[in-house]
Amino acid sequence: MHDNDTRPTDGDRLLETFPRAGLGPDSASASVLTVPAREADTVPAGEVLDPILADRYPFELYSHQAAALRALGGNEHVCVSTSTASGKTHVYGLEIARRLFAAGVLAPDGTRAADRNERATALCLYPTKALTNDQRDALDSLYDDLGLDIRVRVYDGDTPTAERRSTREEADVILTNVQALNVYLEHHDRWSRFYSALELVAIDESHTYTGVQGMHAAWIIRRLERVLKYWGGDPTYALASATVGNPKAHSETLLGAPVTVVDDDGSPQGARDVVLWNPPPRDRSDGPAANDGMPTGDGLPTTDNGSSTNDGARADDDGVADRVPASVDAPKVFGHLTASDIETLLFCPSRKLTELSVERAKEHVRGGPRTYGERATTGIAPYHAGLGRRTRHARETEFQTDALRGLATTSALELGIDIGSLEATVLMGYPGQRQSFRQRIGRAGRGTDHSLAVLVADHRTLDQYVVSNPAYLLESDVEDAVVDISNDAVFASHLLCAADEIALGTDDLGSFADADRLRAGIEMWRRTGKLEGHPEAAVHYTGPPRPQTDVNVYGTDGDDYRLVLAESVDRDRWSLPEGLDLEPVDRNRAARDYHEGAVRLHGGQQFEVVSVEDSRPTPVIELAPVDVDYYTRTRTDVNVIEADSEESRTVNGFELHFGHGTVLVHHDAYDRVSVGNSETLEAGLPTGTEPIEMETQLCWIEVPKSIEQTLVETYRAYGVETGVAPDAADPPHLGYVAGLHAAEHATIQTAPLELRVDKGDLGGLATLVLDSHYAAEDTSGRDTDTTPEDGSPPESLRAAEHAVDARQRQLDGPPASGWFIYDGVEGGLGFARAIYESFEALAARARDQLRECGCGRPNGCPACTFDENCGNDNRPLLRASAVDVLDLLLGEASIESFDAYDPGREAGGETRRPALFYS
Amino acid sequence: MSGASSVRLLSIPAAAADRLAAATLTDAVSYFNPDAVLLPGERNARGYAAVRTELDGVPAIHPQLGRNGERTSWYVPGEGGLRTADAGTAVETPALLAVQSGGVLADLRAGPELAAPDAGATYLFIPALSVAADRTSLSATLPFAVDVASIAASTDGPLAVLAGGQPAGYHHVWTLPVDTTPAGGRATPSETDSTLDSPTIDVPVVGLGATGEGGAAFVDVACGTDGAAAADAITADGFGLRALDGVGAATEERLADVGCRTRADVGDVAVAELSAIEGLGRRTAERLHAHAEVIETGEPLKLTNEQPVPTQSGRPPLCLDIETDGLSPTIIWQFGVYDPARDSYRAFVERTDPTDPAAVLGQFLEWLLGRHADRAILTWNGNGFDYPQIERFLRRHHPHYIEAWNDLRRYDLYTWAVRDGNALLPGRTNRLDDVADALGYEPRERGLSGAQTAAAYRRFMRRPDDLAAAPDWERHERYCRDDCEALWHVYEAIEAADRRDATDSGSGGASGRQSGLTDF
Repeated sequence: MHDNDTRPTDGDRLLETFPRAGLGPDSASASVLTVPAREADTVPAGEVLDPILADRYPFELYSHQAAALRALGGNEHVCVSTSTASGKTHVYGLEIARRLFAAGVLAPDGTRAADRNERATALCLYPTKALTNDQRDALDSLYDDLGLDIRVRVYDGDTPTAERRSTREEADVILTNVQALNVYLEHHDRWSRFYSALELVAIDESHTYTGVQGMHAAWIIRRLERVLKYWGGDPTYALASATVGNPKAHSETLLGAPVTVVDDDGSPQGARDVVLWNPPPRDRSDGPAANDGMPTGDGLPTTDNGSSTNDGARADDDGVADRVPASVDAPKVFGHLTASDIETLLFCPSRKLTELSVERAKEHVRGGPRTYGERATTGIAPYHAGLGRRTRHARETEFQTDALRGLATTSALELGIDIGSLEATVLMGYPGQRQSFRQRIGRAGRGTDHSLAVLVADHRTLDQYVVSNPAYLLESDVEDAVVDISNDAVFASHLLCAADEIALGTDDLGSFADADRLRAGIEMWRRTGKLEGHPEAAVHYTGPPRPQTDVNVYGTDGDDYRLVLAESVDRDRWSLPEGLDLEPVDRNRAARDYHEGAVRLHGGQQFEVVSVEDSRPTPVIELAPVDVDYYTRTRTDVNVIEADSEESRTVNGFELHFGHGTVLVHHDAYDRVSVGNSETLEAGLPTGTEPIEMETQLCWIEVPKSIEQTLVETYRAYGVETGVAPDAADPPHLGYVAGLHAAEHATIQTAPLELRVDKGDLGGLATLVLDSHYAAEDTSGRDTDTTPEDGSPPESLRAAEHAVDARQRQLDGPPASGWFIYDGVEGGLGFARAIYESFEALAARARDQLRECGCGRPNGCPACTFDENCGNDNRPLLRASAVDVLDLLLGEASIESFDAYDPGREAGGETRRPALFYS
Repeated sequence: MSGASSVRLLSIPAAAADRLAAATLTDAVSYFNPDAVLLPGERNARGYAAVRTELDGVPAIHPQLGRNGERTSWYVPGEGGLRTADAGTAVETPALLAVQSGGVLADLRAGPELAAPDAGATYLFIPALSVAADRTSLSATLPFAVDVASIAASTDGPLAVLAGGQPAGYHHVWTLPVDTTPAGGRATPSETDSTLDSPTIDVPVVGLGATGEGGAAFVDVACGTDGAAAADAITADGFGLRALDGVGAATEERLADVGCRTRADVGDVAVAELSAIEGLGRRTAERLHAHAEVIETGEPLKLTNEQPVPTQSGRPPLCLDIETDGLSPTIIWQFGVYDPARDSYRAFVERTDPTDPAAVLGQFLEWLLGRHADRAILTWNGNGFDYPQIERFLRRHHPHYIEAWNDLRRYDLYTWAVRDGNALLPGRTNRLDDVADALGYEPRERGLSGAQTAAAYRRFMRRPDDLAAAPDWERHERYCRDDCEALWHVYEAIEAADRRDATDSGSGGASGRQSGLTDF
């Protein structure tokens, strides 16, 4: 099979040999990017480390390791932001050893000089328990190789009680996770030896601390600092991060202190071909035959022997509104590569798909005897957590020894586990972040070997953006990691914990938190009875014991829903592990993702929500494992009220705002979508959940009057093109507001291209009556309209709609129009803020995607304008109008160039406009 | 019953009154002996009726029912408890104003019903009032603050609010602006802000525990003429049959099934009959029976041959108590040690520099190690609080003493008696003052709780140079000494107590009292 001229892992070779007509190096639906090899940039260890350590270390240091060690040696906090497998663990591993020598805990020969270490200890924090164990092994093995007697111990929920005390008293290095640390801070006096001697805190995978988790981590670190100060510890921090766009800002927010960034990667990397693969178009109206023999859940065979669906032959003017899903096409690529004896990993989003993919891959090979000959279709297998330890272990070994050629895996293999070398990776859909993308493709190719990565795109915005803009993947400017500590609800819960750990005092003003904020938080809790005292004396915690257990690092509210397995579930039958690690969820997420009937993936296994109990003191959601051929997608209806602008700036005449407000969300219906081919099986099923009122942070854009008038005129005639039914196609503003709606969708969908954000953390609302959503001027001194006297949320979003409509009457003139983007979590997460700061960049990406989408439809498609959670069923939408708005915002078009532009038109000719808004 | 200078109220949420056994209510009423019983929370006619049947002449106050269209009622002290009064009656005692709900207050501001009966102090009972906290905006507001402030400004004497919906144990003095500006919003440190233009009024708010969460509690509120309300909460499990060790809701029912409704009933029944009840084994039945006797007689019983403090040289243990500035202490400011052998007391108090916890700690330890290293040390809940706190401060300030400290023989009578179950004690709670009181101890110093002591020291900490803010050191020393001597009193009572074997066979007829003494 191997051609002598080209390597098997060549991208071009794949395109040439794959049995699909029209596919080749010049095809429109696949492109090959070549990532050149990178040589190692090294420094002899002796230049950075003392001989006592350098002489023991068998390797040269990569340049970034050297830079980091130099900075740490100078007691600077450091963030090493380089690719995976670039030796970051050795950075802090060596620094720990260095300090132990310097403190005299280790004798020059590497044995212990002092049995009890009261001089130099180290704490290493990881986001998960699994990683903690892996890293303990890594450090143990490093110290073994160096011949150093350093005691490395894990201390977390799995540590037996009998060992805890000795670990606290004797360990040199303690490894744990952030959630556990939160709880251990309560009895910090038991850790006094360890804390008073603490010299180094290593935070691994620090880029994962964003969003909600990031907020909690930031506060837990600040509480740790208070405790350390009490006991006299003053460590240096070493952060190890994947590449992010803003390592300095992110690290400094996390730590609350200055950080030196080392991001010039000196580790070597083999050359790589990245193939961006767009599956062939599919037209639903043509029926199954033209749809490439679409398999259903029971695995009917598909063949791909040059049938009617040929790729690239369909001209762009036909427009591609839909494509074969990645779940169908990627296994074919996988099958092809493994049949060519190339060691390959296929990354799938769920366990079910790993199993299905192996079947499909085999079908593909069996169905192509001309291409593949009589190859056995053994040699590939699924890999996921549900297989049981023994089977997984066996497969890891078989893969290492070449008994298995390919593994279809869940994200379980994105990190850590050693499966030896492999030559190619295939990704079923874009994983949403470049960092994840790089981590996965980084599994292939060891050292300087050439490797292959194939990204099989799905027909949705991010994937399509990536295949249309190949340079994006290679841009060194990576997404920003956002962590924001301005959420006061989260601050309030950590404030109680801090007071419980050590009484609050004047030292904390300005150091634990800003003085005003601290005083406000203390006063609130004093009034509620949970704190007493004043900072000038001491503020003590007086609430129920152990407030630390109320902190859920995945949520923002005390009233989080617990996720539990329904009583009747047979764990063994479903191979569910004992500790089903389901973290509690906040009420907004509970309503959106865990309503009754929702089907969610966890650890690759499907679960259905069988009941939701919100009446108990601790609300509970019961799940049962299922094996169904669909997943569910929730539809969300949204309104914004009481928006209050705190900051604003002007961009080409548009007014951009950032502030706080109240968002009403109603996750009122859901659809069932086929796993196999993403068809909607059933739509609009009721969820039965109540609307939720959330106070959060928002960013919004106000369209200037002249532009609005021009665009309304330009698109006045558009009606059914926006996707609405003919009888709703009348309003003159429809075309324009459909454009706002599309722009809102697009800016949210493309946000992950700029920020490390999950689209699910954001929400939006496009509106014709922006001012009606603002907080009213408080003239009467009483709450107005929407909020009933006892403060409960409005009965329905309809009530809020009426209120917004009514608000218009109170305005002085016609309102402006525009759209909101908000953080979907109570109190905010910092994303709306980040979007406000980088709105232009976001708008550019959104505009590109809208303009260049090949769907050819006026109202767009899932790759450009559609949002799967749209509460208005993705209508009305209008691409062209959205592109115009964004072009004008970016200053790349001018209003004068529009035919409908009329500077003489009277402003405010209308007395009232329909209160149209769409989420 | 109280005198003219104060009023004693007992509060139990109406929903709890509905659920609790009659014997529990009877027991609580007779224990607290209140001037009136308040029933906060949601309206519950059955709960109201249940309490009324227990009371004789003392009113049960449940304005939520709105009987006879009444929305507000005044009560003043009279013969045998509170009685209703008309507005405008002149008394010099505290008066109680009960309203149906907070919504009524707005009307009250303007109406004639406000004319307070010229009272010494007014206590405003709002049955469902609870503080609204909003963490997202870091604010906590008192609903109806405007109305409350206005009413407080117009009554003659001070006013305090009894808030039905706040947890039992809640006590906070709210500084409310008087006039039309609404109170609340983002919290500002208004109590120290002297630049406030608008006039304000201080209104203490006390919680009565009808929060709908957690177990029910009886709240005993002492209402003085100074407008200060001191509240003490005891869970419902301290009364009736549930006061007995090991009796929960289920057992209570089963005991009722065999005709045992009160502790006296339990005492009258033979142990053999008790252990025949489903869910009660021999051991538990013995304990129940013994405990009933203990509460009735006020005499403790030992259940073991073990000593709380193994005697070495025949000398009694030193009794230790400490005072801190709160539950996350920044200083242990008082160490009190009572030596029963010489009936002498020694205190170590930080009166000059509250920012230096090391000095007084060092003095205490040097004295202890220097003079009494051979003595045993006894505390009440030392394992839970005193010892870990002392150790923490030693680690921080005098680490060289840790080893010697750990060499001392240290004991905790609470652990021995209650947690390890070696004795049965009278007293409705396990707090030292309750247990000692039930055993007949008479303290020198009444009326100061641990929380108040800590608060007083914290005031001193804020202004250590201000003589006017200085605590009454003598009083605090007496209080601490009381604790130590109370501890000794309890210890002696246990030492002298009869022994009752948990597996004593004993037989007694259904009508005879099981004595439980053994010959061991």
